[in-house]
Amino acid sequence: MDLVGGYNPRRARLLILPKNENLYHIPVVCNQCENAYCMKVCPSKAIFRGDDSVVCIDPDKCIGCGLCAQYCPIGMIQLDADTQKAVKCELCQGEPLCVEACPTGALELVYKGKIND
Amino acid sequence: MTDAYTNKLLMIDLSCSSLETLSVPDALKADFIGGKGFGAKLLYDKVPPGTDPLGKDNLLMFMTGPLTGTMAPAMRGCVVTKSPLTGIFLDSYFGGSFAPEIKYAGYDGIIIKGCAKTPVFIWINDDHVEIRDARHLWGTDTLKSNRLIKEELHDDTIKIANIGQAGENQVLFSLICCEYNRQAGRGGAGAVMGSKNLKAIAIKGSKPVNVHDPQRFINACATALKELENSPDIDSFRQAGTAASVEFANETGLLPHKNYQNGTFVKAAMLSDKGQSKHLWLGSNACMGCPIRCSKIGAVRTGKYKGFVTDIVEYESAALMGSNLDISDIRAVAYLVKLCDLYGIDSMSTGNIIGFAMEVCEKGLIPSPKSIDIKFGNVAAAEHLIHAIANRKGTLGKLLSKGVKQAAEEIGGIAKNIAMHTKGLESPAWGPRGVSGMGLALMTTDRGGCHQRGFPVSYELSGEWEGHPLDPLSPVGKAQMVIALQNYSAGTDTLVKCDFGSYGISDTTYAELLSAATGREVTADIFIKTGERIWNLVRHFNLAQGMDASKDTLPLRFINEPLPDGPAKGHRISKKDMTYMRQEYYKLRGWNEKGVPSKL
Repeated sequence: MDLVGGYNPRRARLLILPKNENLYHIPVVCNQCENAYCMKVCPSKAIFRGDDSVVCIDPDKCIGCGLCAQYCPIGMIQLDADTQKAVKCELCQGEPLCVEACPTGALELVYKGKIND
Repeated sequence: MTDAYTNKLLMIDLSCSSLETLSVPDALKADFIGGKGFGAKLLYDKVPPGTDPLGKDNLLMFMTGPLTGTMAPAMRGCVVTKSPLTGIFLDSYFGGSFAPEIKYAGYDGIIIKGCAKTPVFIWINDDHVEIRDARHLWGTDTLKSNRLIKEELHDDTIKIANIGQAGENQVLFSLICCEYNRQAGRGGAGAVMGSKNLKAIAIKGSKPVNVHDPQRFINACATALKELENSPDIDSFRQAGTAASVEFANETGLLPHKNYQNGTFVKAAMLSDKGQSKHLWLGSNACMGCPIRCSKIGAVRTGKYKGFVTDIVEYESAALMGSNLDISDIRAVAYLVKLCDLYGIDSMSTGNIIGFAMEVCEKGLIPSPKSIDIKFGNVAAAEHLIHAIANRKGTLGKLLSKGVKQAAEEIGGIAKNIAMHTKGLESPAWGPRGVSGMGLALMTTDRGGCHQRGFPVSYELSGEWEGHPLDPLSPVGKAQMVIALQNYSAGTDTLVKCDFGSYGISDTTYAELLSAATGREVTADIFIKTGERIWNLVRHFNLAQGMDASKDTLPLRFINEPLPDGPAKGHRISKKDMTYMRQEYYKLRGWNEKGVPSKL
C-alpha cells in the first residue's frame, strides 16, 4: 500500500498467476537473478546489484524504455503507470511490505545460504 | 480529500454509442454509501414504472462500494437492474476480481443503458473506453468468449464479465459470469445484458484505490482479519464452503427433495463436503484478497462426466440440482452446474425449474418429449432440459426458459400448486416449513424468493435471537428478527460486503473500516439505518412497478402441504400464520396494512 499510496494488485511487485479457471495459482516473485537479463539489457545502466545481491533500479537513471520488462523471463518488471519508469521488487530494503501485509503467513523472506532466526 | 471512492460513474448508452462520466454526488454517498444503495437509488430515480426490463430504457448497473478493491477482507460488487424474471428490483452479487477492477480503472460503477444494434463488447482500460464489435463472439459460451476476448486484446490479466448463449437468447433467469466461477446469478441480469446486445465488459485498471487514513485503515483491516480468524463459522466456510450445509439442511428437514415434496434426502452425504472432497476438490480458492477462501476448486477426473474443472458445488446448487432432482452422484451434479455456468443460466433457478418439469411430467400435466423420459433421478433428462432451456429449443425448452411462474401459468390447472417461487424468483434451497421466520424472509425479500437478504434459520433452530426465545414453528416474534437482519444486510451490501465475511466481521469493524477509508465518521448503527432507507425505497420502487401486498406470500406447497418428513414433520406455514407475520412485519416497518411505506 505504501509504494503507490493505495491498493491495486496490478501495482504489486509480485504476481499471483491464475491458471486453468483458477484451478491453481502460481506465485511469482523476482528471482534477483545471478545472470540478470534486465541489468544486461538496460541501455542507461540504471539497474545495479545492491546489498544482499538484490537487483535494484535507480529511478534517476531509468529512461523508461521498457527493455528490462521486455526481457525479464518471468514478467517481474513493469513500467509504473504514474512515473513511466521501470519498477521491480527490491525487497523493500530487507523488510518487505508484502510479507508484513500477508494475512496468512504464506510469504516470508529467506536468503539463500542463510539460516533465518 | 482522499477517500476510497473514485467519485466517478461511467455511463454508457449503447443505443448511440455515447459515453459520459458522472460525478458521484455527496448526498448519494451520505444517504446510500455505495453498492446496493447506489443501485437502488439510481434505479428508483431513472427507471420509471412500466419500463420494459428487456428494452432500451432499463439500466444495467455494475456497482462497487467504498471498500471494494481495498485491503478490507471479503468484499464484492453487485449488479442492479429491473428484473425481467420478476418485473421488480434486482440486485445480484459477485465475488472474484471484476468489481475491484472497476475501481482500479477509476469508477465506482458502470451504468449501461440503451441497446446496441449489433452485438458488442465494452473494453475499458483506465480512461480509454471503447465499444467493440462482438459479432464473432455471439453464440459462444462464457468460458470461450472470455478466452477469445483476452486473445483479441493480447492480455490474460484483463477481468471480464460476460454472458453465454442463454443471456443472448434472453432466457429470463440467465446470469452474468464474472470469471471464474463467480456469477451475478439470480433474477436474469444476463437476459438484460443480452437484450442490450452486450456480450461482455472487459476491464483493466492501473489506478490505486486510496483510503483516507492509511494507518487507521490498516489497523481496522487487522481487526477484521482477527475477527474472521476467531469465528467458528468462518472456519467452517474455510474447510468446506457451504457444502457442509447439505447435511445440516437434511438433518433439520429443510433440504428440498423432489421439487420440495420432501425435506430430507437419504443420500445427502454424497452431495455434501464428504462426497465433494472425495470426488471433486483439489485445493482452495479465494476471491481477490479474501482470507476465507470458501471456494474449493477441483476437477471431475473419473466416471461418465470426467474431464472438466469444477469449483465447489455450493449448497444451493448441490441441493437444487442434486437432492431436488433426486440425483446423488456429485460428479453428475457438478457436470449439470458446469453446463449452466457455460450457457450462463442460474443453476439455482434451473434446478428448481427442472424439478418442477420432472414433477409435472411425472404427474402427466404435460407429456415428456418422445426422446427422453423427464422424471426424477434421470440425469440425462436434466441435461436435456438445460440444453433446451439455454437454447430455447423445443416446446418444453421455450416454456421453461420463462421461469417457473410463467411456465406454471401457461400449463394451467394444478401446476401453480407445485411452482416454487416468490414474486417469480424461483425459491432457494431452504424449504421454510420447519422455520417460519425463514418463510417470512422469503415472503418479504425485495427481489423475490431469495434466502440472502435475511437468513434467520440458524437463530430459529438455536431457539434464540438477541436474548428473545424463539419457537421455530411459531409465527410469533419473527418479524422483528427478519427486519433487523434485512436492514443490516442491505446496509452492509452498500460496502459491498460478502455475506460470508459478515459471519465474522462485526458491525463496529465495518464502521471503522468505512470511517478510515472515507474520512466520514460513522458508527455501527449506520448500517441498520441505511438498510432501512434502502428497504423502504426499494419497496416504493416495487409497488410502483405493479407489485402489491398479495405477492408477499409463499409458494403454495409450503402453505398447503404439511412437511412429510424431518423434525418439523406435519408442519406447514398456514395462511393464518402468514397473515400474522405479514401484518406484524408491516407494522414494525412502519408500513400500512397494504404494505406501503409512509416514509421514503
